[in-house]
Amino acid sequence: MPVSFFSTWTRTLMAAAVIALAVWGLYGNMASAVYPFLLGFFEWMETTWFGVIGKTWGAAFAFVEAIHLLGLAVLGGCVIASDGRLLGLLLTDVDASTLFDRTHRVFVWALSVLIFTGVFMACGVATKIYYLPVYWFKMLALIAGILFHFFIRRPLLQHELDELNPVVTKLVAVASILVWLMVAATGRWIGFSG
Amino acid sequence: MNEFVYNLAIWLDDTQWSTMLHESYYMYNWVESTHVLTLMLSLGMLFLIDLRMLGYALPEVSASKLAARLNVPMLVGFALMFITGILLFYAVPVRTAQSLWFRIKMLLLVACAINALMFHRRMNQSVGSWDLEPRAPGSLRWGAMLSLVFWSFIVICGRFIAYDWFDCSPSSSGFIADLSGCIDGQTRF
Repeated sequence: MPVSFFSTWTRTLMAAAVIALAVWGLYGNMASAVYPFLLGFFEWMETTWFGVIGKTWGAAFAFVEAIHLLGLAVLGGCVIASDGRLLGLLLTDVDASTLFDRTHRVFVWALSVLIFTGVFMACGVATKIYYLPVYWFKMLALIAGILFHFFIRRPLLQHELDELNPVVTKLVAVASILVWLMVAATGRWIGFSG
Repeated sequence: MNEFVYNLAIWLDDTQWSTMLHESYYMYNWVESTHVLTLMLSLGMLFLIDLRMLGYALPEVSASKLAARLNVPMLVGFALMFITGILLFYAVPVRTAQSLWFRIKMLLLVACAINALMFHRRMNQSVGSWDLEPRAPGSLRWGAMLSLVFWSFIVICGRFIAYDWFDCSPSSSGFIADLSGCIDGQTRF
């Protein structure tokens, strides 16, 4: 089935709109207007069960941190295996659509673990991370990664690989690896900041 | 033994490079970040193999093929983790050598190495009969399960090293202090 010109451009335009919105949000007046109002929400996060547990029991916080890292490892494995296949570096003798479909399922589980444990950790240190620019960079990278994965990469890989432009698939693979590496690196850097 | 480890750590701590690495904000953080981020490569590949053996990931893909193809990136990841892990130890040798979590982590690493050797031997002996089955035979599933459990505890211990719950201090004594290797009269903590 050939890739529809219309659907491809629809996604491209949606992605461009999201990027434009993000740039406007970052550099326009929206960020400075919304930012002060978010403080109340972050203060509330610390009063939730997650916040109280995270702040009271250091061991619980550290344990959840470790689970977060394990989720990251599984997510990274899925990204590297499937993007390595797109780049022609890994598992080249394995059926591509099976690989993409199966790694996607594990990816979704890993992402769910990451988000759940991430929310827990954020609640424990909410008023600290609110003031950390690197936290907001991580959130931007995470949103970009999720949007990219589910609205660009995943629909694209529903098609047979030989129907797609090889340059495009390789660019998608590189972008995917970079965006998730960015999410992980900015997340690690939160620990060094503040 | 604990005194030998302590004296070795003191000797490492006194070297100029150890101090430089420890006190370099960016270098230390880059090394630590690399150590953590290579989890995605090393454990990412390993967990995919283990989950395949248990039937939770890529059940249609030949198990031996998956293990063989992911072996190289996994080993590259482990090599990077090993190098950066040594550098992290070298940057903070006294405290790390006497960390309870670090010691448990090292024991678990040995257990993982033994389990991996046994796993590969069993897999190579039996692979033809079950390669395309969704789940590996029982003994290999146990090996994969042990690998997942050991590595999960290694990550947990690695994370716990950063916390000072059982650090040696002048008043340290008892079972935990013995396990951590705190020695009487030590001058650096």
